[in-house]
Amino acid sequence: MKDLKLTGSRPGAERTVIDIAGVRIGEGLVVIAGPCAVESEDQTVRTAVAVKEAGAKMLRGGAFKPRTSPYAFQGLGLKGLKILDKARRETGLPIVTEVIDTRDVSWVGEYADVLQIGARNMQNFSLLREAGKSGRPILLKRGMYSTLEEWLNCAEYILAEGNGQVILCERGIRTFETFTRNTLDLSMIPAVHSQSHLPIFVDPSHGTGILGMIEPMSLAAVAAGADGLEIEVHIDPSSALSDKDQQLRPEAFARLMRRLERQREFIEEMYAREES
Amino acid sequence: MTLHDLYEDIDRIDARLLALLNERMERAVLVRAFPDGAEDAARHDDESVERARRTALCLAGPEFAAGVYRGLADECGRLRASELRTVAFQGDHGAYSEMAARAWDAQAAAIPFREFVDVFDAVQDGIVDFGIVPVENTLGGLVGPVNSILVYADLRIVAAVDMPVAHCLLAPPGADHREIRVAYSHTQALAQCRRFLARNKLEGRTEFDTAGAARRLAEERPAGAAAIASRFAAELYGLDIIKEDIQDAENNRTRFFVLARAPAAEAGSKCSAVFFTEDKAGALFRVLELFARSGINLTRIESVPNVPGDYAIFLDFEGSDRDPRVAAAIEEAKASAREFRLLGCYTERRL
Repeated sequence: MKDLKLTGSRPGAERTVIDIAGVRIGEGLVVIAGPCAVESEDQTVRTAVAVKEAGAKMLRGGAFKPRTSPYAFQGLGLKGLKILDKARRETGLPIVTEVIDTRDVSWVGEYADVLQIGARNMQNFSLLREAGKSGRPILLKRGMYSTLEEWLNCAEYILAEGNGQVILCERGIRTFETFTRNTLDLSMIPAVHSQSHLPIFVDPSHGTGILGMIEPMSLAAVAAGADGLEIEVHIDPSSALSDKDQQLRPEAFARLMRRLERQREFIEEMYAREES
Repeated sequence: MTLHDLYEDIDRIDARLLALLNERMERAVLVRAFPDGAEDAARHDDESVERARRTALCLAGPEFAAGVYRGLADECGRLRASELRTVAFQGDHGAYSEMAARAWDAQAAAIPFREFVDVFDAVQDGIVDFGIVPVENTLGGLVGPVNSILVYADLRIVAAVDMPVAHCLLAPPGADHREIRVAYSHTQALAQCRRFLARNKLEGRTEFDTAGAARRLAEERPAGAAAIASRFAAELYGLDIIKEDIQDAENNRTRFFVLARAPAAEAGSKCSAVFFTEDKAGALFRVLELFARSGINLTRIESVPNVPGDYAIFLDFEGSDRDPRVAAAIEEAKASAREFRLLGCYTERRL
C-alpha cells in the first residue's frame, strides 16, 4: 500500500506496543469492556467493578454518543466524563471513551486514557488531526464503508501529527447481509498484521449486534490473532438507554473471559508443541 | 423570560445577598478595634435600622426593611460582644488562605483584604488579631511580595500551616466547556496550571486572587471565561467544576504563616528568622555553620533581594527558643550576622 510512511509495516521493524497506565497493548490479549453509554454513576461504577472482576483491563463507556437519530440519548457529556473518572479511581481501570467533536478533544483527553474515534468519524480528518495533536493513545474504529487502505490512511493522519499510539479496531462493515447488524470482517486481523505494525482490536458487540454471537466471534477473533477485544457490558442491559440488545450481562462476560483464557492456553500449547 | 430564568436570577441574587450580609457583618465586627468602637457601632446600627424604615421601595417596605436591619444589627452586636478572633487574609472569600485560616482555627472569623500589605497593616494596626499569608509553594516557588514585606514587618510568626493545593477549572453553571477561551486567576495559580492551560488552548489572565476571579465570574458571567480556584470557592459562588486537580504536578503544597503582634504563647517546634550578612567571602557560611555545629536542622533557606547587591536571608529551623541549645545558637547568630531577627517559634500544622 502506497503512502503509508508511518503506518505501514517495514521488514524487520518491531510491532508497536502501547503502554496505557501499565496496560501493554500489543503484548498478549487485552480486553476493554463496559457499557455502551455512561448513564449514571451507579451504573458505570458497578459495571466497572464487575468487568474488572472478570478480568477486563480497561473500561469503555460513551459520554458523547454519535446516534443515528438526533432524538436518541446523546450521552451525558462532561458529566459522563466525570463519572468515568470516578470509576477509574474506584477500580484503577484506564478509561476508553469516544470523542466526536474537535472542540472536545482536549477535554476528553483530560479525563480519558484512550480517545476512541468511532466508525462514523473514521474519515473526519480534522478530528483525526486534533486527536493526533492531543498526544493521547487513540482507538481508531474502522468505518462501516471503508477499505483497509482507507482505514490505514486515517491512522496515518494521526501518526503524521507525531502521535504513534494508535490502536485499530474492526467493528464490522455494511454488506448485503442484514441478519447481523454488520458483517464482522475478521480477515482484517491478519491483513492489518501484514500491512501495518499497529495493534488490532475487534469489537464483536457492534460487529454482530446479536447477543448470542458475541462469544463465538470473540473466540474466533482471538484465535485469528487479535491483540484485544472491545466488548459492551452493562450491569442491567434491560434498562440500558442505548444498545439494549447487544450489551452482555456481567455473568455472561465473566464466562466469556474464562473461555478466552482456556482457548489462549490451548493455542499457546498448540504453537509450543509445533515448535518442539 | 421563562420560569427557569427567574429562578436562576433568584439564586444569583441570594448568593450575592448572603455575601453582602457577611461583608457588612465583618465591618461591624472590625470596629471593635477602635476606642469606643462597640458603643459607637451600636448607635450606627440603630441609624441603619431607622434609615431602612424610611425606605420608599414598593416591595421591601418600611416595616419589613426595618425588621431585617434590626435582626442584622442585633447579630452584629452579639458578635462584637463575643470572644470572636479575627484573621485577615489576602483575596476574597473562598481563597486558599481562608482555607488555611480555617484549618488553623475553625472558630475564627476569616476576613478578606485586597493586598498582602493590607493584611500586614491590619495586624500591625490592631484591626485584626491575626493575619495569614502564603510564603512558599512547591510549584510556584516563593510568594514574592509576602517575603519582601516580612523582612521589615514588625510582626511575629505564631503558627504555620502546610496545605495541599488542588486547583479546579470553574465555569458559570450551564456554560459550555467547549466555549471557554480564557481562565482568570491569581498569577501563582496560573503558573501552577501552565501545562493544563496550554493543553486546552486557554489564555490565562491575572486576577488579584483565585477566589476573587471565581466571584467575578459568578457575578458577571462573561462569555467564554473560566476561573481557576478551589473546590471551596466553587461551592461558595455556585460555579460548575469543569475539571478538578488541574495543577501540573501532584505534589502542589503551599506553606502559610500566621502572624500576630506578640509571639506565640506556646514553645513551638519550629523557628523562623531573617538576617543580612556582610558583603564578604564566607559571611553566610559562618552563620549557617553555627546551626550545623549545634546540630540544629535547617528546613528552609531563602534569599530575598533587598537593595541591589544586598539580600535578606530567611532561615527556618527545627526547635524552640526555649531550648537552651537553640537559644545559644540564636545569640551567636545575632553576633555574627547583621540584624539577625527571630520572627517566631511556632507549631507547624501539616494537612
